[in-house]
Amino acid sequence: MAARSQEKTNKRNTEDISLKIKALGEKLISQIEAMDNPHLDIPIRGSANVHFDESQQKIILGDKMAKRSLFNVAHARRFMQTMLVASYVQKDLLANELTATLRDLYYAKKHTIEGTKEDTIDEQKESDLAIVDFEVALETFRERLNLRAEPKGRMAGNMTVEDRVRDKVDLIDLSKMGSGGWSVPSIVEQINFKKVDVDYVLVAEKNAIFDRLNEDKFWQKNNSLIMTTAGQAARGARRFLQRLSTELKLPIYILTDADPYGWYIYSTMKYGSMALAHESERLGCREAKFLGMSISDIEHYDLKAVTIKAKEVDIKRAQEMKSYEWFKYKEWQTEINKFLDLKIKAEIQSLSSKNLQYISNTYLPEKIKNQDFLP
Amino acid sequence: MADKNDVSEEQLSKEFREYSVAEFFKRNRQMLGYSGKIRSLTTIVHEFVTNSLDACEEGEILPEILVELEEVAAAKREEVIASGDGGKALFEIPQEVLEADMYEFYSNGIMLQNKVDYSIKTERKGKESVKVIILKAPLPVGNTIIAKYATGHIKVSVEDNGTGVPKKNVGQAFGKLLAGTKFHKRKQKRGQQGIGAAYAVLFGSMTTGKPTHVKSGIGDGKVYECDLSIDVKTNDPVTTNEKEYAGKFRGVKVTCEFAEVGYNKSEYSVYEYLRRTALANPHAQLTLIEPTGNVVVFPRSIKEIPQKPKAALPHALGMNVSDLMDMISSTKARSLSGFFTTEFSRFSNDKVKELEALTKIDFKKTPSSLQWTEAEKLVQQFQKVKWIAPEVDTLVPIGEEQIKKSLTSLLKPEQLKVVERKARVFRGGIPFLVEAAVAFGGEAGSTLGQEGKGVEILRFANRTPLLFDAGNCAITEAVKTIDWNRYDLKDIDHQPVSIFVNFVSVYVPYTGAGKLAISSEEEIVVEIRNALMECAREVSIYIHSLQKLADQEERRSIFMRYIGEVVACLHDITGVSKEKLKDKLSKIAKDRTALLEAKDESEDELNSDEDLGDSAEE
Repeated sequence: MAARSQEKTNKRNTEDISLKIKALGEKLISQIEAMDNPHLDIPIRGSANVHFDESQQKIILGDKMAKRSLFNVAHARRFMQTMLVASYVQKDLLANELTATLRDLYYAKKHTIEGTKEDTIDEQKESDLAIVDFEVALETFRERLNLRAEPKGRMAGNMTVEDRVRDKVDLIDLSKMGSGGWSVPSIVEQINFKKVDVDYVLVAEKNAIFDRLNEDKFWQKNNSLIMTTAGQAARGARRFLQRLSTELKLPIYILTDADPYGWYIYSTMKYGSMALAHESERLGCREAKFLGMSISDIEHYDLKAVTIKAKEVDIKRAQEMKSYEWFKYKEWQTEINKFLDLKIKAEIQSLSSKNLQYISNTYLPEKIKNQDFLP
Repeated sequence: MADKNDVSEEQLSKEFREYSVAEFFKRNRQMLGYSGKIRSLTTIVHEFVTNSLDACEEGEILPEILVELEEVAAAKREEVIASGDGGKALFEIPQEVLEADMYEFYSNGIMLQNKVDYSIKTERKGKESVKVIILKAPLPVGNTIIAKYATGHIKVSVEDNGTGVPKKNVGQAFGKLLAGTKFHKRKQKRGQQGIGAAYAVLFGSMTTGKPTHVKSGIGDGKVYECDLSIDVKTNDPVTTNEKEYAGKFRGVKVTCEFAEVGYNKSEYSVYEYLRRTALANPHAQLTLIEPTGNVVVFPRSIKEIPQKPKAALPHALGMNVSDLMDMISSTKARSLSGFFTTEFSRFSNDKVKELEALTKIDFKKTPSSLQWTEAEKLVQQFQKVKWIAPEVDTLVPIGEEQIKKSLTSLLKPEQLKVVERKARVFRGGIPFLVEAAVAFGGEAGSTLGQEGKGVEILRFANRTPLLFDAGNCAITEAVKTIDWNRYDLKDIDHQPVSIFVNFVSVYVPYTGAGKLAISSEEEIVVEIRNALMECAREVSIYIHSLQKLADQEERRSIFMRYIGEVVACLHDITGVSKEKLKDKLSKIAKDRTALLEAKDESEDELNSDEDLGDSAEE
């Protein structure tokens, strides 16, 4: 029953987007009929139009719009590429109920323009940027356009979900996924939560930590879900976390290295990013909390002996982050200042210097019990 | 002054006194312009053409000059270059053998094979290097090696319609070295550059052993012809085969055969020399018959005969030692003071006293007793004394309109700017005037073969082209110090540009006796620079408008390029007919590019990708 309704929703989404694209095309045609310069209205995505919304706790796109015109030397090529994206999504993907990767699109639409020696797309970066243009112009996101990114991220824990590949429906028990865990797909819109029996979600930025916790049966012992993002979180993982947080009201605790890059990974999951500010709404997980590791952790757990000297780039990054609106919390400013002061950083694995299971048996339970988090 | 030819004029005159004519010529060949086959031919033509132009000017005649070059097969020459002594196998080869177009070696009447019977190597002989022939075996006693060699000749004939040379002066004009009348008359004349037509005559007889044929008519119904050569011992003309007959011919035709000369169309060639002569003498019609028989006409572009330069007495500031000694040798004055006050301009008795005090030379003595060293001292002091400047009205420029006409007709440029500047002075008082032009596009610029067009600098002194020693010339220096980027002529070395400069003065400050380049005196370089920059400004405006047009063209092509793709996509999305969309879009593109001429993109539109914040996704 639920499966059928989900299928219906998906179909309706597809039709909605398809109509939106058609409307956009018709708008361009009416511009052409009126002998006007055909153009798309696209929100500006530069730093001038990206800011932090205090009340929503999100990095969002402002309302500054720009015209992307065909007959403008600086825009012509990108306009053409955006149209290539539009036709590919409409005609090849949505109409056939197929999904594709960004690279698929790149190869599908790359060809030599007739009568010239110029290619429609030189590098994938160009079509990727055209995709972003198209998403924001349609006020949607790429998953709705049946475009998927590389999946990244694994999970394990007491939860059962239902996933589908076109008309094939699978029931997946995340507690029976062995040593590797369940791989979070790049599109998670179609996933239904079935049986959920956990108290919180623990996210680590590193595969190694996930494997450690899985081996230590951490999720079983602590009645939780564990997840690895394997570095900067992919869109699928971020969206899935948001759904766990908003739909299931599960607390999300995030564990990263004690350095500016780790902290930035956390902030992206929570507030969104500058580059994808238009998707913070869908990808941001405002309730997420920072569990560790902080410079204070290094002091508190006496890890000074196993720290690494901070590099020039780390320091530069920290100085930049200090000025970000979303790092303006007193606690974060203290952490960043400590970092700039001591010029040291630490990996999560530094906890292994105590003993291998110190993280599972002592560090994490202690932190969670004391609610020792950063905002 | 060109590299190794660095001989001062003083030295030249001294040597001329010390050696026989032929030896003098051999020693100074290079400096006299007879180095290299191409250049030698250009020098020969230059000497004759210059005389022709001067003769026409003298008679106020529109010049019509015909230069004909004809290749003549040369007779073989033979020379015994070695006699055997039974032991030696290595012999020096005379230079003229190896420089010939073909040579063969014979021994006992049998032709020797290179690499089989002999080889040729370079050996050091004292400080010089010589070529030697090395035989496989020593040359037996009694045997000789005979070199048979031949060099192709070029027969040069130059014919004009000038005043002609009177019969009694022919020998003097063509057969006596350093005897031209131009050393005595201080006019702004082309002929000052030439070392003299007589050297060409000498060069011909030295290289081919043949005399020069002269035909002359002064318009009195009689034509005079003779063969002429120079007695190298006495420096006297020798005329043979003289004849005189009734005829209407007026002008001069000189014909002479030369070896060690060559013809091509390079920067230093006869072709280029005549082309440039035509540019600076738009009233002259020049015709060149190339050795191939091809006829090149540089047509007359104006019919006005240029104003005759006013004869003026020489001014001390423009003197050099050899000119001064020449004047001394022919003066009729009885004292030095008389000589200077009567034969020079602005040379007062006060100046005589002043110079007497400065040089301690007795100005009461006869001019002929003036020593070379004393003349040197005088010339040095001339530069230090304050003079009343020479008259300016002796300067005769080509004229702005005339240059415009001639450059337009010969270069057909897309854009041309000519300026004629006011007269200025250098060295504290010598008047000079600069005429300059910059021509862009059309046939302007030099051809760089595969690479297309490049800049060409057309240098002139009193209308005479300066082809050689460009690197030491004030004109080249002025061109090089200008920042051409500022005038939209980026990378000027590869632009279709002709830069024309005519330096006009009664005293052209050449860098040396070779008269190849103008000395880079500050006032001159600055003036040429200013003139050229004035021209460049105008050309820059034109180039700028061209670039704007090209930008527009580029813009249009960018717009048109993507229409096909956009139309296909819109068709995919909406199903609207491709043809209809394509027509409309093409029309909009055309309208837009026309519209954009006046105004640029409106401000609410994005002009760079940066504005859209295209940082890579993390």
